[in-house]
Formats: sequence, structure tokens, C-alpha cells
Amino acid sequence: MTITSSNIQLCYQCGKCTAICPVRRVIKTSPRNTIYLNNVYRTTSDDIWNCLTCGLCYDGCPQGVDYPEFIKEVRDSNENGDIAHKGVFTLISDLMADLDESKTSLEEVGNNDSKIGYYPGCLDFHDMFFELDVDFKSIADSSVKLLKSIDQDPKLIQMKCCGHDQLWQGDKGTFEKLKEQNTRLIKESGIEKLVTSCAECYRTLSLDYDLPIEVVHISQVLKDADLGIDSGIKVTYHDACRLGRHMGEYDAPRDTLANAGSEVVEMKHNRNDAWCCGVSSMMNCDDKSKALRKARLDEAKATNAEVLITTCPKCLAHLNCMKDEQESVEQYDYDIKDLTVFLAGQMGGK
Amino acid sequence: MTEFEPDILTFCCNWCSYAGADLAGVSRLQYPTNSRIIRVMCSSRIEPIHILEAFKEGTDGILVTGCHIGDCHYIEGNVHTDERMKEMVDALEHLGLGQRLHLEWVSAAEGKKFQETITDFVEKIRALGPNPLKHKGVEE
Ligand code: SF4
Ligand code: SF4
Ligand code: SF4
Repeated sequence: MTITSSNIQLCYQCGKCTAICPVRRVIKTSPRNTIYLNNVYRTTSDDIWNCLTCGLCYDGCPQGVDYPEFIKEVRDSNENGDIAHKGVFTLISDLMADLDESKTSLEEVGNNDSKIGYYPGCLDFHDMFFELDVDFKSIADSSVKLLKSIDQDPKLIQMKCCGHDQLWQGDKGTFEKLKEQNTRLIKESGIEKLVTSCAECYRTLSLDYDLPIEVVHISQVLKDADLGIDSGIKVTYHDACRLGRHMGEYDAPRDTLANAGSEVVEMKHNRNDAWCCGVSSMMNCDDKSKALRKARLDEAKATNAEVLITTCPKCLAHLNCMKDEQESVEQYDYDIKDLTVFLAGQMGGK
Repeated sequence: MTEFEPDILTFCCNWCSYAGADLAGVSRLQYPTNSRIIRVMCSSRIEPIHILEAFKEGTDGILVTGCHIGDCHYIEGNVHTDERMKEMVDALEHLGLGQRLHLEWVSAAEGKKFQETITDFVEKIRALGPNPLKHKGVEE
């Protein structure tokens, strides 16, 4: 099968993408070669499952070849690669697509007349199936608290999973089902703006859905807000690939942190150069991608920051997981926290 | 229309509840025939993915049974089962299937309890009606 919908025909085989690719540091993978196989021989190889779709190569390609977009297309209807946690998260969303009663959150909070919606994503399921010492649900609580404090009292939107993982794992059929139902639910709710606290939801709802409303990441709402915090804590920020390279939002989380009085120090690879957490779309959690995660933790350690901030619950999970795993060999003295939890924690009872 | 007969999947652990089911059998205790029993070495062998797959394939209800807390052949396997099944029920509630999973401790001496548990569960599921995924999830 040849993919023509993405722009990979533009590739002139310079190989820069392969040189940039973080996965290439740990295994033999070659985006250039995959493109070659597709463009010249019209075939694919298993290498399509190694890509983290982090977008680093796209960012560096002199021809502007959108390799992740190609990967998304070429994976569709192919037997998929290694999915973490035995695919339990994917299966849950698969079932959601077929169950009318299903929703990602049982909670009914917020102001029902609000024109601002908040979508927590699959945080509840993270709490159930990640065996980590992280309270994912607190991301939703913190987000609502922060939005309230700046008079943007949201209504919690009961939706299905956004379908991000299905889309990138090659199950477009299920993704389309979820998209259709979610689009209907959003339209019915009557909101004009949807706030997410997850980089993946933000990307998916913005780019892969055609919604008539505005979708924003919570950092974009908070960046100009006065939260009344002045912490002086030294933090470093991990750019989630979905928020950074996919959506081009590098400043909002940093501005938010700076406005709240935190001193933001940068890791060696930051902004559009930032390294991936290594398990995007819940795929490829293995010893190789763990090497990437460890490298990321080491970079954060070198900054001497007290807290490593993320804006994606998945990055939060994967990085924390690695930190736990390394405990017996290497000490990482910083906390890894979601932006909203970090900020709401400092607001105290206010 | 024929009356709805629930399809129930029962997991029994090798050491207690399977022996309990055996006892129910040799004692000739009558219970509905809607259930298929799968024997596992320990109830903690049952993973979220097994439960979800079974529902996807159209099972109407799942009964997980194991040794009483403190009696586990593997010391504390069932403590993990307990924790995991609570999470599972929570997850299924999000999916609208919360009522369809039940955990019960049945010892090797409790043939009677096994009979009652199955009977009650079958009736509960009968009242709930078929799994809404019944004809969607099964792939030909
Ligand atoms: S960097 Fe761009 S042009 Fe060069 S090989 Fe990769 S995709 Fe092709
Ligand atoms: S998207 Fe990232 S992981 Fe995939 S080939 Fe490009 S640089 Fe490598
Ligand atoms: S890094 Fe940890 S939390 Fe993330 S997929 Fe792998 S095992 Fe799961």
C-alpha cells in the first residue's frame, strides 16, 4: 500500500530524520528507509511500529516531510506492534465506542450553565491501571480549582475517550466512532470553549476532530491569569510532544510557571528539541524506550530543579514509572508533577 | 421471543472455590446451568484484560471466586484480587457494565455457598438483561 495523503513524496533521502530520531539512539530504525520503501517499492516494514510519532524528524526535515502523519496513515488496518499494559487502555476505549452508557468520568461538577467545558480525559482509568504513586484524578480537581479561581467556572463534560491511542495504534475505525459520538456530545452540551488538561486530548480534539468550538489546553488559559502565587520554586519543564511539536505550544506552560513565581530552568533538550517520554500512544514500552526515559530523567537531574513539570498525564505516568524503577540504582531527588497539580497545590485553601 | 438466558463466566481458583464447586456437585446441589467455569491456579491470575475481553465477546456476567482472605494458597494472592476487582468494578461502572462483575469468596467446604452465589448472580443478570455488547463485539 502506498500512502499518498501525507507529503512524504517530497523526501529527497538526505537521512537527517534518521540522524535526529531519538529511537535511533537505542535501536536500528530508519525513517528515511521506511519512506524509501513506501515511495519506491510501495511496501512497508515492521519499522513503522518503532516510531514514537514524537515529531522531532518533522521539525528537522529540510523538506518539511510530515513523517508522523504518514505513520498515522500507514499504521491503519495493520497488525499493531507492542502495546503497553497488554492494551488494557485501548480495550477500554474500544468498549466505550460500543457502549452508549459509557463515559470517562462519573463526576458531575461545575456550573451547568457555563459556556466553558472541561474534559478530564481518561484520568480515572489511569488511577485504576497504573500502579504508580500518582494521583491522576487530582489533575482534574486541580484544573477545575484553577479555572474557578480565575472566574472561568467550567462544566465538566461527560464524553468518551478522545480516541488518540486508537488513531495512532492503527485503529481508525474505532477512532471514527468515538469522534462521532464525542462531537455529538460536545454539540449537545452547548459549550463554546473546551479546556483540556491533557496534551493528547488537546491535539486530537484540535487537529483530528472538526469541532465548531474552540479547544484549548489549560496552560493557554492560565498563562495570563493572576493566580496569586509566588512560589520561587526552581522547576524545569518537559515539553510533551503533543503540546509542543504537534501543536506548537511551548510558551504557555513556561509563562504560566513564570507568572506563578517559579524559576524555570531548561533541560539540555527543550522546546522543539525536547526528547519524548518514550511511550507515546501507549506503545513501545520496552527496555529500549526506557533508555530514552532514563536519559530524560538525567537531563532533568542536571538542572537541579526541585520539580519536573509536565502537561500530559501520560508523560507524567511514564516518567514517574521510570523514576520508581530506578530507585534502587539512581536517586532522582525531584518530584514529577502535572502543571495544574503543582499550581493548585500552592494555592492552598485560597 | 425466547426468554433471555444469561451467559455467565465463573472463575474458580484451584484450591478453594473450585473444590467448593466440586462439593456442590458431589452433594447434588442444584444450581442454574448458565455458567461456565474456568479454573485458574489463583484468583489473582485474572487480569483486567481477561474481564474486558470476556465482556467484549458478549458474556453477560462474570463471577470471580477465590479463597477467603487469609486462606489463599499463595498467602495473599486474593488480597490483590480484592483490590483489582474493586478497581475493575469501578472501571466497568464508567462503561455502564458495573453490575455485571461480582467477587465472592468460597472455601472448599462451602458447596452450599457456591450454589447460592451462582443462583443469585444468574438471577441478577437475568433481571439486568443481555450485555449490550453482545452482538457488537463478537467478530466472525
Ligand atoms: S530529513 Fe526529510 S528529506 Fe531527509 S530523508 Fe528524512 S524525510 Fe527525507
Ligand atoms: S517521529 Fe520521532 S520517533 Fe518517529 S521517526 Fe521521527 S524522530 Fe523518530
Ligand atoms: S513507562 Fe511505566 S507507566 Fe508507562 S507504559 Fe511503561 S510501564 Fe506503563
